[in-house]
Amino acid sequence: MRQGHPNDWSGKSRGGVAGYLVFVFFIRKLGLRAAYVLLAFVALYFIPFSPSTTRAVWFYSRKILGKSRLSSVIFLYTNYFNLGVALIDKTAASSGLYDNFTFQFDEPRDVSDILAGNSGALIIGAHFGNWEVGAPYFGKYGKKMNVVMIDAEYRNIKSLLEKQNKLSAFSVIPVSEDSIDHVFMIKDAISRGEYVAMQGDRLTQKGKSYESHFMGRRASFPLGPFVLASRTEAPVIFYFAIREGFKRYKFVFRLFRPEESVRRRGGEVNVLNAYIKELESAVRTAPEQWYNFYKFWL
Amino acid sequence: MIDQALINKINSVLAEEFEVDVEKIVPEAPLMQTLDLDSLDLVDMVVLIEHNFGFTVVAKDFVGIKTFNDFYHFINNRLNETGAPK
Repeated sequence: MRQGHPNDWSGKSRGGVAGYLVFVFFIRKLGLRAAYVLLAFVALYFIPFSPSTTRAVWFYSRKILGKSRLSSVIFLYTNYFNLGVALIDKTAASSGLYDNFTFQFDEPRDVSDILAGNSGALIIGAHFGNWEVGAPYFGKYGKKMNVVMIDAEYRNIKSLLEKQNKLSAFSVIPVSEDSIDHVFMIKDAISRGEYVAMQGDRLTQKGKSYESHFMGRRASFPLGPFVLASRTEAPVIFYFAIREGFKRYKFVFRLFRPEESVRRRGGEVNVLNAYIKELESAVRTAPEQWYNFYKFWL
Repeated sequence: MIDQALINKINSVLAEEFEVDVEKIVPEAPLMQTLDLDSLDLVDMVVLIEHNFGFTVVAKDFVGIKTFNDFYHFINNRLNETGAPK
């Protein structure tokens, strides 16, 4: 176990408000395909002008996926392009175009029962695929969705929504590393029978981490989400949304039921190990949709 | 005046949960440093209080708690307010 590291994610994601609004305009006025064409050029820009991200993707391609230099150049572009597609698709889905998408569900019966039941649930995703494209899907169960977000990321999203005069489909629980208010907000939301979603694969500067093998190499995972998952009475669901084609996604849900022995100090490692297993299985099906753009592996 | 039995119970559950020597837990000692707690450990503190003392904790409860003595008073006051058994 260790504290955060200077290479850990700073809490801010790349991408300006103006650029985002240009894409919103394209999606609404010209359609998804036109937005993808614009993206084909924008993705090129990010390769030289986002050097730390480019380094992280290059490392992932060369060292984790074992691709050659030439394949890695192609992969680099594909990875940026796919991220852009994910952002365009989630914007389209949340702008009333949700019905234009096709979704396939890998959802065991017990997960459906929990989502439809009265209890709250803790949903842990990853910076992989496009989890937000599924946010409207959770709405069908009529429960409020709360998304746990680093404070800086939250301020960025709030600013975007304000510029569009738009309300978010979910509530945000902002996490500040100097406060524990979010712990109580999560606890309260679950006790009200709501969903709480968070990402389990991004380490912040001050956060505690745990090193484990992921995709064949040691990586640092944050412990915070798994401490909460192991101590809460609520069911824990791992959720990933994988893009399978044009306007086509597959949602993967896996239920983790913490036993009593997991609900105490140290139990978080059991939840984390189960999460890593499911995440790796999902990432291996679509490695080009991994978007954890910082020095994740050791 | 706080019942010594309650203080002993608090010390005992803290020592067991956070794996510290019970002798280090004295009223004037700083709670966070003595138990080596960070913000994540406070999740365990919340669970520990709710399981052992039977009342619900809210964020503002932790404001102003610096020493074990502050913590004893917080637990004692909340038990008195809620009427939960000590």
